[in-house]
Amino acid sequence: MAKPNIICVDDQRDILATLKKELLFFRDLIKVYYCESAEEAATIMDEIDAESEHVAVIVCDHVMPGKSGVDFLSEVKDDNRFPNTKKLLLTGLATHEDTIEAINKAKIDRYIGKPWETHDLINKIRVLLTEYILEEGLDYNDYITILDQDTLYAQLRKTM
Amino acid sequence: MNKTGKLYIAIIIPLIVWLIPTDFIPIEGLTIVEHRVIALFILAALFWILEPVPIYSTSILIMVLLLVTVSDHSLIFFKVGVDEPGFGSLIRYQDIMGNFASPIIMLFLGGFFLAMAATKYRLDINLANVLLKPFGNKPKYVLIGIIAITALFSMFMSNTATTAMMLALLVPVLALFKPDDRGKIAFGLAVPFAANVGGIGTIIGTPPNAIGVRYLSGEYAIGFGQWMAFALPFVVIMLAFLWFILLRFYPVETESIDLKIGGKFLKSWKAIVVYCTFAVTLLLWLLDFLHGMNAYIVALIPVAVFSVTTIITKDDLKRISWDVLWLVAGGLALGLALERTGLAESIVESIPFGDFAPMLIVACACLITIIMSNFISNTATANLLLPIMVALGTSIPGLYEIGGLRYIVLTVTFACSLGMAMPISTPPNALSYASGFFKTNDMLKMGIIIGAVGLTFAYFYLYILADVIDVL
Repeated sequence: MAKPNIICVDDQRDILATLKKELLFFRDLIKVYYCESAEEAATIMDEIDAESEHVAVIVCDHVMPGKSGVDFLSEVKDDNRFPNTKKLLLTGLATHEDTIEAINKAKIDRYIGKPWETHDLINKIRVLLTEYILEEGLDYNDYITILDQDTLYAQLRKTM
Repeated sequence: MNKTGKLYIAIIIPLIVWLIPTDFIPIEGLTIVEHRVIALFILAALFWILEPVPIYSTSILIMVLLLVTVSDHSLIFFKVGVDEPGFGSLIRYQDIMGNFASPIIMLFLGGFFLAMAATKYRLDINLANVLLKPFGNKPKYVLIGIIAITALFSMFMSNTATTAMMLALLVPVLALFKPDDRGKIAFGLAVPFAANVGGIGTIIGTPPNAIGVRYLSGEYAIGFGQWMAFALPFVVIMLAFLWFILLRFYPVETESIDLKIGGKFLKSWKAIVVYCTFAVTLLLWLLDFLHGMNAYIVALIPVAVFSVTTIITKDDLKRISWDVLWLVAGGLALGLALERTGLAESIVESIPFGDFAPMLIVACACLITIIMSNFISNTATANLLLPIMVALGTSIPGLYEIGGLRYIVLTVTFACSLGMAMPISTPPNALSYASGFFKTNDMLKMGIIIGAVGLTFAYFYLYILADVIDVL
C-alpha cells in the first residue's frame, strides 16, 4: 500500500543514533530509514519507489564524504519520481554559498542548524509530513495522531 | 482483521446468499430479481461496515453491480428467464444511473458552492469574528459562543470543514490553559459535538438529512423552511444541553479567554457577490412557499452565479468532495432498487411486525441506527437503514396511526447524526480527538450522554410534531 516513509541521511553514526532516538515519535505509523551516505539513501529511495511507497520527507546533512547533501537534494528535486517529497537540511557547516544553492537549486523546504532542539525538529518534520500527505491525497485519518494540526485544519477548511 | 480478510468476508457472504436457491429464503413470493437485490444489499452493508475499501467506492460498486445484474440492459446472462413468472421486474438503467444527478445531489452541489465561496472570500472566518465578540471573554460565555457558531456554520458548511475552522481558532488559546485545567476538555468536545448536532439543523447540513428528505415524497414531502422549523428548535435545545453538561463535568478554571481573529470583511465586487448570493439563496430556500421554486432548484442558483462570475474557478471545482456525492448517489441507487423491486416491503411483510407495538418498532429502529452511526459513517448508515424505514413506515398500519412514514424516517435521520461517542464516529470527532485536549473516555462519556438524551428527545419531540409539520 501507499505508505509514506521518512529518510535520514548523515555520515556521523552518533548523529544518526540521536535521530533514531528522537524520531521514535513516528515509530508506530511511519517507517524511518537511516542512511550513512547520499548514495545509500538513493538506493533505498529506489527500493521504496519500486514498492509504490512514498518518500515523504528527507532529513539530510550537508557535509558528507562522497555526494554532498545539497547536491543530493538537488537531484531529488529534479527526479520526477519524487515531485512532492519534502526536503529538510540539517547542518551546522553549510557556507553562505551552500545555503544559497540549497534554496535556489535544491528548493529545500526547511533548514535546521546543528545543534538542534528535539521538539523543533519533530514539529518541522510533522508539518512537512502533513503537507506531503495532503498534497499526495493519502488518507490523513491513518496518520492523524502524528500530523501537524494547524496544517491539517488549514487544508480541511478548504475542502467541502 | 486486516483489509484483505475483511474484503474476503464482504465478498463471500453475499456470494453465498446469491447462490442459495431462491426458494430457501423465507420470504413469501420472492422473485429472482429481489433475491439478487438482497445479496447486493448485504454486500453494501458489509462493505460499508467493514470498510475494506473506501466508502465512496462501495457506492460506485453497488451502482455498477445493480446495472449489470438487475437493470433492463443487464448482462444477457442475467436475463435468462426474464418472461417467466417469479423472475420479477428489472429496473430501467436510466433510473439507476440517474441517481448521480438526483435532486439531492444538486442540493449538495449548491451547498458545496456556497460553502466554498464563503471560505474563499473569508466570509466564514470574518462572520465568526463578528459573532463571537458579544460573548466577551468569560470562558462560560465564550463556550456558548463557540457552540452556537460551530452549529450555525455546520448547518451550511460540511461538519468537517466547520470543525477544522473552529479548532484552528481554539487550539492556540487552549494551549495557554494550565495543564490541569479540565476546561480544555469542555472546549475540545464542544466543537465536534456542536458540529455534529448543528448538522441536523438544515436539509443541507449533513447528507443523512437530504437522504431522509428524498424518502419523504408526495404528500409527505418536506421543504427547506419546514425542515428548519422543526429541526432548529431541536438543535437549539440540544446545544443548550451540551453547554450545560460540558460545564457541569468540565468546569473551566481559566479566568478569561481571548480569541484573536484578524482580518476585515472583503470589499471587492466578487466578495459582495458572495455575500448577496448567500443571503438571497437562504431567503429563497426559506420562502419557497411564496415563489414556488423548491430547495433543489434554488440550490443551483449559487452554482450558476459563482461559475459565471468565476468566483468558483475550474481549480476550485476539483476540490469539491465528489466522494460525498458518490456516496450519497450509490445509497440512493440501492434504495431505488429496494423500492422498485418491492423487496423492502416483502421483507417487512415477512416479519410479523404487526405483533409489536409501533412505538417499540420506532424505538428499536432508532437504537440500531445510533449504534451503527457510532461505528460507521453517518451517511452510510442512512443509505442502509432509511430505505428499510420507508418500507416499515408505509406497510405497518399501526405505525401509520402514530405519524407513520414521517415519524420513523425523521427520527432515524436524526439518530444518524447523534452517534458521536468515539473518535471514529464522525470526522469532526476524529479531528478534535487528534488535537489531544481530551481522552477517549471523555468523548465516550459525553458522547453517550448527548446521544442518549438526543435520541430520547427526538423520539418524543418528533412524535408530537410529525402530524403537524404541514402546519409549520
